[in-house]
Amino acid sequence: MRESTVMFLHYITAILIAITGLIHLLANNDPGIGAVIKANSALYFGNMAIFLAALLYHAFNGVRVILIEMVPDKCWTKWISWAVLIVGIVTYAVGLQVLMVALGFA
Amino acid sequence: MSSEEAKEYALPPEVLEETIRASEELWKPVRKIKFRIYKYNPRKDYAPHWEEHELEVSRGMTVLDALLVIKGEMDHSLGVRYSCRMGLCGSCAMMINGKQMLACQTRVLEAAGDGDVVELRPLDNFPVERDLAADFTSFFEKHKAVKPWIIRNDEVELNNPTGPYKQTVDEYARYYQFTDCIKCGACLSACPTAATDYEYLGPQALAQAYRYMVDTRDDGLDVRIPIVDSEHGCWRCHFAASCSDVCPRGVDPAQGIQLLKKLLIKRKFGFKPHKPAEALPAKVKAERKE
Amino acid sequence: MEAESEFKEYYAKNMRGISGWFKARAYTIERWLYAAHRITGILIVLFVLAHFYSTGWHPGLWWDALLGIIVTFHTANGIRLILAELGFAVGKPLLVKKPSQRPVSIEGVQRYLVVFALVLFFVLAAIWAYYALVVQPMMG
Ligand code: SF4
Ligand code: SF4
Ligand code: FES
Repeated sequence: MRESTVMFLHYITAILIAITGLIHLLANNDPGIGAVIKANSALYFGNMAIFLAALLYHAFNGVRVILIEMVPDKCWTKWISWAVLIVGIVTYAVGLQVLMVALGFA
Repeated sequence: MSSEEAKEYALPPEVLEETIRASEELWKPVRKIKFRIYKYNPRKDYAPHWEEHELEVSRGMTVLDALLVIKGEMDHSLGVRYSCRMGLCGSCAMMINGKQMLACQTRVLEAAGDGDVVELRPLDNFPVERDLAADFTSFFEKHKAVKPWIIRNDEVELNNPTGPYKQTVDEYARYYQFTDCIKCGACLSACPTAATDYEYLGPQALAQAYRYMVDTRDDGLDVRIPIVDSEHGCWRCHFAASCSDVCPRGVDPAQGIQLLKKLLIKRKFGFKPHKPAEALPAKVKAERKE
Repeated sequence: MEAESEFKEYYAKNMRGISGWFKARAYTIERWLYAAHRITGILIVLFVLAHFYSTGWHPGLWWDALLGIIVTFHTANGIRLILAELGFAVGKPLLVKKPSQRPVSIEGVQRYLVVFALVLFFVLAAIWAYYALVVQPMMG
């Protein structure tokens, strides 16, 4: 992928995190609004799935940016990108399962 | 000019006196300043050391003037690079009290402020050539890497020019600001990304890439995109804006880079900034035909 | 011998290294925001990993308020960065420059954006602190 695609998604996921993260925070911290949000657990699960994906993308891409700035060597840059991608996907898979258990889908 | 007229144009004596007095004032020594100078020759020395010199400076004296006095009278081995002494050649950028500035454009008293020490180091994040001179090889290579020239595909016109390429003032205004760059290296030196990432193209090269990409005479947009849109290209800029802060020519490379990012994203969705300009039918040619 | 040549190389290269990311003195406020953005980003990643590892973990009361400062700063400054980095608030290139022209991208509209981001940060951090210190203990 071109670097511009990666970084454009970095900004898009940032906006997604701000929205879905706010819903997540309200659901867990505000008794009134929280009850309303959690009433529809399928929608809330969807929110959390998007939140998790966006957050992981944003976080791991951020880590990748910092790492390739620290170790600018061409070969290392490639390995860092792959390693971060794989760790990210694995974390997402595990995270989704945890979410399903926590929200009572499994 | 008759003597009558000459009298009319001459300055009144009191104004003349005042002018002379002011210029004498400018060059009268006013304060003793201590210069801490970084001395290091990577081919010989084991480690750098600092040397201190004291100098009476006047209000008009620039750091470069002071360095030349020091080189002439106190330490002949001092390595400093300069040529124009007027902020046009970009040879003399260095760290003056911890900030990238042109030695020839910074007055000593301005740099010293309230203190009386001026600390001089070679540019950060550049290899040291000797003492205050930095090695610009990789900097110029990065500049060359973005193809800083007009790229065109109309070979017939290039080999047999029929006239100048068309460009309006508005189109000129899109890139004029970036043409003022003197390649002094201050921006790359100030950039936090360049502090670790030696592959980073740097604000200067990226601003120049943008300058050519939006030039209406240029047809090289898609040739340059793979170069600037790489892992160590324009996306390693995080808008710390230090490059614009230190640029002595008001080039504002940070702005150029952000506009370049906008251009890349737009290009992703199929937008092209311009069609390559066509040649104006020149008057010369018309006359020749007659 | 090996150590000696490395030592020499360190001075000959004259790279500031990671400390250069945080050398914000002498530059404009954007440089501080850049450094803080990076630090808060790293801290958030660490928190998120812990939050995943034992699901739903958060540090509690005053530490929650501190976490709020970190997250809301990253959010507010992030909004500014998205606008600036995609070229929306950095102004236009100049055709006429003053003798000592200050950069438009720093001292133009972007200045207001910085102020906006800081105000937004304070407001969001205050709301978060209210929830962390007042609402959460009530919820038990
Ligand atoms: S952009 Fe400014 S600071 Fe950078 S090399 Fe050109 S003149 Fe120097
Ligand atoms: S704006 Fe970008 S290129 Fe300029 S100093 Fe900041 S990070 Fe470096
Ligand atoms: S000597 Fe030419 S820019 Fe300073």
